[in-house]
Amino acid sequence: MTALPAILSIIIFFGSLALIFSEKINRSIVAIAGSVLMIGVGTLFNFYSEEAAIEAIDFNTLGLLMGMMILVAMLEPTGFFEYLAVLAARASEGKPMRLFILLGSITTVLSMFLDNVTTVVLIAPVTILISEILGVSALPYLVTEALLSNTGGVATLVGDPPNVLIGSAAGLSFNDFLIYSLPIVLVSWAGALFLLRFLFKKELSKRPRRSKAVMKLNPAETLNHPETARKILIVLGGAILFFFVHHLLHIEPSFVALSAAAIALMWVQPDIHEVLNKVEWSVLLFFGSLFVMVGGLEHAGVLEMVVRLFDNVNGIPPVLFGVFVIWIVAALSAVVDNVPITIALIPVIKGLGETGMDIGPLWWALAFGAGFGGSGTIIGSSANIIVATLSEKTRTPITSALWLKRGMPVMLVTCTIASVLFAIFYRWL
Amino acid sequence: MNVTSCMKHHVVSITPDTTIHEAATIFVKKHIGLLPVVDKENKPIGVIGMRDLLKLELPDFVNFVVDVDFVHDFGAVEDTRPPARTLNKKVKSLMRPVITVEEDAGLLRAYALMLQQNLHDIPVVSKDGKLIGIASRVDVGVAILSTWSKVE
Repeated sequence: MTALPAILSIIIFFGSLALIFSEKINRSIVAIAGSVLMIGVGTLFNFYSEEAAIEAIDFNTLGLLMGMMILVAMLEPTGFFEYLAVLAARASEGKPMRLFILLGSITTVLSMFLDNVTTVVLIAPVTILISEILGVSALPYLVTEALLSNTGGVATLVGDPPNVLIGSAAGLSFNDFLIYSLPIVLVSWAGALFLLRFLFKKELSKRPRRSKAVMKLNPAETLNHPETARKILIVLGGAILFFFVHHLLHIEPSFVALSAAAIALMWVQPDIHEVLNKVEWSVLLFFGSLFVMVGGLEHAGVLEMVVRLFDNVNGIPPVLFGVFVIWIVAALSAVVDNVPITIALIPVIKGLGETGMDIGPLWWALAFGAGFGGSGTIIGSSANIIVATLSEKTRTPITSALWLKRGMPVMLVTCTIASVLFAIFYRWL
Repeated sequence: MNVTSCMKHHVVSITPDTTIHEAATIFVKKHIGLLPVVDKENKPIGVIGMRDLLKLELPDFVNFVVDVDFVHDFGAVEDTRPPARTLNKKVKSLMRPVITVEEDAGLLRAYALMLQQNLHDIPVVSKDGKLIGIASRVDVGVAILSTWSKVE
């Protein structure tokens, strides 16, 4: 009798995923329809209910994402991102290799604290500007920014949606990420940067036609609202400080992010409609709906079945199993969105924990796989898609073939470095 | 008063097979801003404006960065020319749909059309659709304002 709910929920979940990946219908629309269907069918066949669905939603994740989105929405129009890029351009004195490393580093640091998509959306236009006035191709810089933001985002709790999900589900604190994830990500990041320098050697060794032009960019003029920028940066800095100690104060990261958003809103008092327009509600709805759908799978006993499948592999050494998780998740993330993968795998890992397996390291394996895997293809992460879409409106569009040649090696190298370090430090993870 | 009273009767026009390069030469020589593209029967089938050609030279970043005030030196972009393969393309690959007025159109109708469609010049056609003239915003505007002198 338990088979029917399982079959029904699998059909609904994978049917929705297939529709999402076909890109025929917007992913948020599919997710909302799928979650409603899951609740309806679940109620009818007695395996799921509205109450259970509400419980399945991880409001901690949604709150953290929403709080950060509001802060970024307020920071965006101040011109702060252009300011940083212009500073980088001037510091590079128009030397491509130096510009490459500076822009890459800025993007990485920003994406460690802000959403990757936002970071890339804001840095990419100025990157096109800088390369055009220098007279060099923007392509190496754009591709590198997306790849490094994918890589750097894995380092912190708030850097990447999968991390937010994993942190919330596994009860990992901001500092846990700094202690366990950051060092491994730093080495992987350095590997990625070194590799990209090599892959783009030809483009980067070309001398720009007008390297002096960047020195005439005026950073001060990029800041449209310096006072607002200062206020939001203070609040953001305060939020990051509280992230460091949130577990000591027994408050959730979402509370920190939402408090910061509230303080910034009170302090700046912007046009609230403009700010809320920039918050990506469709993303939040997508997350919420996925939680509801995966909750249905869980209640139908599907995830338990998956856990039992893994029971048979209990014979293989746990380190090897962890490395296997990194690569499987990475391969999946390269071709599909890493958010549904992460949301679906979290209960599976929890289930494995209940069988007595040490799942501490597996959370990191999941984070590395989901984060680094996205670099592999042009559709692997939202940052990649953003950069590619933007470049389509320029004279030198990024093709998916080019992405495979530049991004796939980065994915392989970062995953390899992460696997090796994961294996070496396994017993401390 | 209708639009024929203020339009220029001598219209410079081109055929769809004119190259972009040739069109640019005509803009320079005639010092004009809009070239109607006509078929064999002198019926307008599109237009090409000076701004359509200038767009080929404009850097990509202008489309992405809202405020370019802080860019004091456009650097390499200042002396980048469109590649020869672009200039040798025919204008039919670049032309836009034409918006015309008929010869009996009133001045205000012509002006409102230009305002709403953001046109600086509007080709005027005869009843059977043939190009017979072209009027600029200044032509139409001045013709309208000149009627004010009769207001007591």
